[in-house]
Amino acid sequence: MSALLQYVISGLALGCTFALVGSGFVVIHRVTRVVNFAQGAFPVIAGLATASLLTRGLPHGAAELVAILLGGVIGLVVGVVAIGKPGTPPLASLVITLGLAIFAYAVEIIVWGDQPVSFPGLSGTVNVAGARIQQQYFLVIVVALVTFALLELFFGRTYLGKGLAACASNPYSARLVGISVTRMGLVAFALGGVLGGLAGVLVTPLQAVSFDSDVTLAINGFAAAIFGGLMRPMMALVGGLVLGVAEALVAGYYESAFQTEVALAIMLTLMVWQASRRSALEEA
Amino acid sequence: MNRPTFGYAVAALAAAASFAVPLMLDRSQLTIFILLGTAVIVTTGLSLLMGYAGQVSLGQGSFYAVGAYTAGLMAVHGLPTLLGLAAAPVLAAALAALVGVPLLRLRGHYLAFATLAVQLILLSLVGQFEFTGGDIGLRGIPQLGVGDATLIDPLAYAYVTLAAAALVLLVTRNLIKSRPGRGLRALASTEVAAESAGVPVGRYKLAVFSLSAAYAGLAGGIYAFYLGYISPGSFPVLLSVQFVVMAVVGGLGTVWGPVVGATLITLLVQALNSLGTMPGMPAYAPDVLSYAVYALLLILVLLFMPRGLLPSIGSRLEDRRAISPTRS
Amino acid sequence: MLEVDDLVVRYGAATALDGVSLRIEQREMVALVGPNGAGKSTLLNTLSGILRPAAGRMRVEGRLAQVPEGRQLFPDLTVEDNLRLGAWRSGDRDPGRVYRLFPGLMRLRRHHAGTLSGGEQQMVAVGRALMSDPDILAVDELSLGLAPLVVADLVRHLRMLNEERGMAILLVEQNARLAFDICGRAYIIEAGRVVASGSCAELANSPEVQRAYLGGSTDEYEEYDESEESEETTR
Ligand SMILES: Nc1ncnc2c1ncn2[C@@H]1O[C@H](COP(=O)(O)OP(=O)(O)OP(=O)(O)O)[C@@H](O)[C@H]1O
Ligand SMILES: [Mg+2]
Repeated sequence: MSALLQYVISGLALGCTFALVGSGFVVIHRVTRVVNFAQGAFPVIAGLATASLLTRGLPHGAAELVAILLGGVIGLVVGVVAIGKPGTPPLASLVITLGLAIFAYAVEIIVWGDQPVSFPGLSGTVNVAGARIQQQYFLVIVVALVTFALLELFFGRTYLGKGLAACASNPYSARLVGISVTRMGLVAFALGGVLGGLAGVLVTPLQAVSFDSDVTLAINGFAAAIFGGLMRPMMALVGGLVLGVAEALVAGYYESAFQTEVALAIMLTLMVWQASRRSALEEA
Repeated sequence: MNRPTFGYAVAALAAAASFAVPLMLDRSQLTIFILLGTAVIVTTGLSLLMGYAGQVSLGQGSFYAVGAYTAGLMAVHGLPTLLGLAAAPVLAAALAALVGVPLLRLRGHYLAFATLAVQLILLSLVGQFEFTGGDIGLRGIPQLGVGDATLIDPLAYAYVTLAAAALVLLVTRNLIKSRPGRGLRALASTEVAAESAGVPVGRYKLAVFSLSAAYAGLAGGIYAFYLGYISPGSFPVLLSVQFVVMAVVGGLGTVWGPVVGATLITLLVQALNSLGTMPGMPAYAPDVLSYAVYALLLILVLLFMPRGLLPSIGSRLEDRRAISPTRS
Repeated sequence: MLEVDDLVVRYGAATALDGVSLRIEQREMVALVGPNGAGKSTLLNTLSGILRPAAGRMRVEGRLAQVPEGRQLFPDLTVEDNLRLGAWRSGDRDPGRVYRLFPGLMRLRRHHAGTLSGGEQQMVAVGRALMSDPDILAVDELSLGLAPLVVADLVRHLRMLNEERGMAILLVEQNARLAFDICGRAYIIEAGRVVASGSCAELANSPEVQRAYLGGSTDEYEEYDESEESEETTR
């Protein structure tokens, strides 16, 4: 029983980080129609950067904040390269983000080396119904939930958020009313970078990251995002939580080597199901 | 010189050169030559897929692996090696046809992720199974041969690779020039237009996907016999990315683009490797250099020569010829 | 108010506007009439800054807002959000002035724009354009797919905006009879060139214009077929 509770809570926490990475995919895709293959680089860079900033003596909080902002800046740079040049078709933008993901490898290895890096998060544990659970898990869950609430407010209540939604809804009309769709796309990339950076800062104390952790992070995030068809941030949260718990249970009761395969299989099934539903709608 | 004869002349020259080159190479250079040949074969298929079906596959490495394991396993179990080599592309194509039915319904961006997922799943399965040798891999794959005569000389493998590459290029060229090839070109411009012009879009996409997988499988078979040892680690995701880079850099949907792309990238990576392993360089230098080069080439070509190196230079030459007075 | 001289606009190699010149004076209502593919929407999109001209000059005094062909709302946003986004460039985001003009929209303000009827959508589209407090309103295919009564109501509003607020209006219409009825002057554009212009009364009496644009049944604009209707609901 206490083992189950432990798996569920750790799964929820992990799922929250997937959801944050996934919401970055969603925000960028909604506004620009580009699937950002460099999305996994944001959490990696933020995690690595936090670790070095902490060893340089920056206090907790400040180090994380700087790393998250760094994620935003890198998101912006990725955006500029991927969609900044007018007339770049979305498929080219996608392959460009793939190139940037590989380029990030080179930079990360030079700056941080190729060994996994971690840093301590919240150290205490909490006793929940007989299970001892690390406080960091709760921190991750709370921060993620607050972030999603803020994200919802941002898109639902603010004028800038509506402008982003307008670009997603009808780019032609967005331009007509004077919204610069490219500039909004860059805002989306920066926001995607911040969300990815936040995920990295939260996850690194739980699992060490190295330059090539981006594949796992991106795959899980993408799988979470697929729950909402890459269009709805809130569904990415649901997707992330489902994935996280499923993976934790598989790892706990069966075989931890199959953790990512669970995400991959769910992702493939969902994508194919959504595609067949879409074509069924089109045929009707 | 008009265009077709010019093309034939280049082709003949390239053929002659590639037949002569292996004779001048030492052992390690021959290995590079063989890897280059297999890369040309895989990239030709991927270029067809990207250029004509407008689909990005980040999973060509998985078909390469399927070919390698098919050939390797059959040979290890005592079946004739030539049969193994023939089965490699067939099984790879069969797998592509199988996963292609659901996956090709996905739009471009999703397919890229889906093929990546297929490769990751495949690698992890191969790493789990007993009969594939698990994570340790498959050792002692016999040499390619007929009966008692086996190829042990790398030079012989170089010519086998060359022959396979020539075959693949010939098939591709004929396909592009054929009637279905023209249908495919319609597919490349827009799917809706192709559909309304009566092109069976779904079936064509699946056919190109399977063909590209067959090419990758064939290349994987050669690779397995030449090295005699394969493991899941031989087929990382980065290998698939590398094929994408080669295809994009060379130019999509052309016959010679993949040759140019694969050659350029292979030679460049080799040069950087020797640079990176020079004394005084940090241990990570070769990796970092090759990542940076893949990335920068991919990005720069897509931004500034979106049709790829070969077509862009080709059309520039064409422009020059168009304004020169000798052209009537 | 608006001056366009020798405007050339291309889509790749295809020339859509080939030396178009046009004037609109203060408080004027001007019609732009022409067959499908003549370049009317291209002209409006160029005036709105969405397309870049290859050659020629244009000068807009004050602000120009466009009601695009087929409404082009943000279907998954609410009516109110659609209106508020119309003020992206200008300051005042309060949609009250649009609700006063179209009181019917008040009731619908929390509805998603995509769920509205064609006529209601056209009101939102006009309202969204008005939110930028334009000096010139360019309306592309006002009557497209709408019932005559709805069109008449919209026309009444346009007239009021023109007469009471002094807004200049450029009205693109396939239905020349309707356009000539509303406007004082008109330009006729074919294959990217202005082929005739002048007062609507004059043009309506010219035999060529009558044959090409005013022929057929007198209540032509009631006969929009299904295909056009369905075309503009999918964006
Ligand atoms: N995005 C585009 N790309 C290429 N060509 C275009 C594009 N939009 C319009 N055209 C072409 O430009 C020409 C003018 O089109 P435009 O839409 O301006 O005509 P229109 O007068 O508004 O026609 P309609 O009455 O059907 O709305 C047409 O030949 C059309 O095919
Ligand atoms: Mg039009």
